[in-house]
Amino acid sequence: VETPESLASEIKALIVEVLALEDLEPDEIETEAPLFVEGLGLDSIDALELAMALEERFGVSIGDDPDLNQRIFASVQSLAAFVQDQRAGGRESA
Amino acid sequence: VIPFSRLLVEARADADRVAFGREGPRDVRDLRTDVASLAALLLPFQGGRLLLHCEDAYAFAVGLLAAGQVGARAVLPPSRQPGALRDLAREVDAALLDGEREAEPIEGRPCWHPLEAPRAEHPLAALDRDAPLVELFTSGTTGAGRPVAKAVRHLEDEVTCLEERFGVLLGREARILATPSTQHLYGLLFRVVWPLAAGRPFLRSSLLHPEELLPWLEERHPFALATTPIPLRHLAEKEVLASHSESCRGIFSSGGPLPAAVARRVAAAVGAPPWEVYGSTETGGVALRQQIHGGEPWQPLAEVEADRDEQTGCLGVTSPWVSEGEARPGGARRLVLGDLVDLDPAGGFALLGRADRVVKIGEKRLSLPVMEERLRSHPAVDDVVLVALEQAGEARVGAVVTATRAGRALLEGGGRRALAKTLTEYLSPDFDRVLLPRAWRVVETLPRDSQDKTPAARLRALFSAGSAAARLPEVLARRRKGDTLFLSLRVPEDLAYLEGHFPSFPVVAGVVQVQFAMQGLAELIGAPPRLSSLEALKFRELLGPGQAVQLQVRLDADQSRFEFTLSDPERPARVFSSGRGTLERPS
Repeated sequence: VETPESLASEIKALIVEVLALEDLEPDEIETEAPLFVEGLGLDSIDALELAMALEERFGVSIGDDPDLNQRIFASVQSLAAFVQDQRAGGRESA
Repeated sequence: VIPFSRLLVEARADADRVAFGREGPRDVRDLRTDVASLAALLLPFQGGRLLLHCEDAYAFAVGLLAAGQVGARAVLPPSRQPGALRDLAREVDAALLDGEREAEPIEGRPCWHPLEAPRAEHPLAALDRDAPLVELFTSGTTGAGRPVAKAVRHLEDEVTCLEERFGVLLGREARILATPSTQHLYGLLFRVVWPLAAGRPFLRSSLLHPEELLPWLEERHPFALATTPIPLRHLAEKEVLASHSESCRGIFSSGGPLPAAVARRVAAAVGAPPWEVYGSTETGGVALRQQIHGGEPWQPLAEVEADRDEQTGCLGVTSPWVSEGEARPGGARRLVLGDLVDLDPAGGFALLGRADRVVKIGEKRLSLPVMEERLRSHPAVDDVVLVALEQAGEARVGAVVTATRAGRALLEGGGRRALAKTLTEYLSPDFDRVLLPRAWRVVETLPRDSQDKTPAARLRALFSAGSAAARLPEVLARRRKGDTLFLSLRVPEDLAYLEGHFPSFPVVAGVVQVQFAMQGLAELIGAPPRLSSLEALKFRELLGPGQAVQLQVRLDADQSRFEFTLSDPERPARVFSSGRGTLERPS
């Protein structure tokens, strides 16, 4: 069973790998810190790449609500919560 | 079709839809009321300059048209970066912003939300075709980007031409879904001005993810999509377009080169490849093409004349909506762009690349010399060359830096990352986030060829070692002979500074040299070595940045004992360090 911490670590590793962030270890990304602009400083190209990678890795799908997407992509913590929610939902409907 | 200048005075049904979206639908009656109310508020700024930036394309349209009503021009900041906004605010009379705007005035200028003007009457008039209406900024790179003014007629003539070309194809009822920002000419025309003039409803919201288009596609209403290559690639890869091919009237892509593979994928999904639009801020739309095989020639729009400039070999463009360059009879102008061109006898042309050092990142243009100059003004930077890299399939900027004394002090304190962070923060008020360098290399001297140019291929090679380069030496060659591994290594310039103990004389610390040996051991074992003891460590010669090193590691057959030597490949007797040790038994 995946713990929230291990899921967060996996997402951090994915961010560093997919976005080719240099001089940064996954552990150094703060779980609650903002990913875009302040905080990690990701940009709009990163947002698309990260969305694709999350869909591929975790089988989740990004929704169509801009406000919700902004909340989901706020931090590693919110991304992890989103992945977990979708997985839980997926199992119920399967 | 109503000429854009007469939009608010021609008879149109009050209930005709103008815009739609999560913010709610708006019709012609709303548009007239909102423009009149805002125009009444803006009367004191007649003939002035108004900063305009909105996420909501309808609010933007109201701001633009109200500015036109009072004979003011809308100054469109290329981005919402605080630095860019502040600098521009000093040069305007008032600001029109929506969303998370600061409630208080910027730089002492009053600031309003275009849709929050108190209800008021104002007689609506046709716009003067020759009056300047907008001021855009070229390249979208710096806060100090060059302004380009457009008169009403420049916008009107171009969208009239587009409507004559595409009006029948799109039909009156198609809704316009557009992703580019209204702050640049492509978004301004395709998202707002053309739909307004043609009477097609446009989507209000600015979208971050192409998925956010889906609810509007799901409504199965006929639509046309205007977007840029990156979101289009994502839409094509996700295969969402195929299920909406019935309602798709056309797809437009501009702002950067579209890979032919993406064009083919879109064609397979909706039955026709996207219409690619080539143009620039100064010239507006120049040419169109649809790619299937790839590299199909560009076909100039009606009223556009394309030529090859004799002196530069670059594309010359003449049309009624070119707003800069030499004046031609009838209000047209001719401007020579920075793209090398090859004309074909059939009237089309092929683009052969940029003549200067301007690159496109996302849909933003970046003049590398402009950012280099900015970086050189930082006390940590002695010299710098920027190069376009490809990372995860997208263009990104890499920076190769030589450091000043202050820069070396930064590197010693916090390594390359500290330097990168300092310089990124230094650039960020003036450059869009996507343009900021993503990878940094610090070198002793910039690689230069015989003409004193910095060859892009050699610069790129500095980045090819990947993200681990900061901590590990570059491996140039490897050879194994029995129980011994020979690695030809090169010490990266930034590594030495990072670990160096003497500020004026950077050296690779002994502990780092041992790490090199551990890297060799890891290759021999096929796993990270677990060190039990180290003996007979000797550091003889100082190892400096840029130095080529031969690492020799021998491991006993039972994988318990090892020895290593780091030496100069040119003079094997010159040994930097050597030692031996024992490993823990694999558990």
